[in-house]
Amino acid sequence: MTQIVTWPALVLWRALFWTYERATWQYDLMVIAILAFVWLTPPSWIGDPVATDPGPVEWVMGLLR
Amino acid sequence: MTFTGAIGAVCMFPLHAIIRVCVRLRIHPNVLTLTGVVINVLAACALGLRRFVLAGVLMVLANIFDFIDGKVAKELELESRFGAFWDSVMDRFSDITLFIGLIYLYSELQRTDYVIITALAMMFSVMTSYTRARAESLIDKCKVGFMERPERIVLFMIGAFTNRMAAVLWVILVLSVVTVADRIYYTWRELRQAEDLVPRGARL
Repeated sequence: MTQIVTWPALVLWRALFWTYERATWQYDLMVIAILAFVWLTPPSWIGDPVATDPGPVEWVMGLLR
Repeated sequence: MTFTGAIGAVCMFPLHAIIRVCVRLRIHPNVLTLTGVVINVLAACALGLRRFVLAGVLMVLANIFDFIDGKVAKELELESRFGAFWDSVMDRFSDITLFIGLIYLYSELQRTDYVIITALAMMFSVMTSYTRARAESLIDKCKVGFMERPERIVLFMIGAFTNRMAAVLWVILVLSVVTVADRIYYTWRELRQAEDLVPRGARL
């Protein structure tokens, strides 16, 4: 049980207290997470003043509506 | 090889060619550094005028100069302590200039929220560099935290080319705050460990 609780906490701590070099798999994961946030977050959610297109997520949500 | 490593390796091919040209022309590395700053000022103007793709192209160009100056200095055997200082100071000018371009844009659009977000991102970006510089006057090395200058610059380019500057600013802000906190914590921990090694009576 302790391991189940501490494992996510450890991952979070290592992501926040960053000690990894560039060009490591941890760095790649972080880059993927950042790019996903930048490209997938609908601009309207963060009130982007200059974005002209709704982005892929909002486009898909529009199709589902 | 990781995918970021592969991207870096691919980018190095044209950069090596540019470095060879600069070495052959014997261009002084400090001139290359200054040229990078001037182009970054133009990129900031483009950001302020909402010409994001142009700003992105100028940022790529500016950062080529910024990247090659150290390598050219090494090839020409012109490495100096002043060169390192000059490069570091010019980097801060370039960073701040880009943020000012965005602050101008958002104030023109009367978006106070993003003026504040950009100003905070600018403050913590400068603090990221300052905390490391100050820490390394006290301890051996302070290279912790994710959001350093190369990451910030690439994010700016991505934001400019894909018109996602708002999301990029949020990422820069949050990760710069975390990086500054990392460096403060790391320096405190290292100094405390160093003090624990010194006998109590020997301390000043």
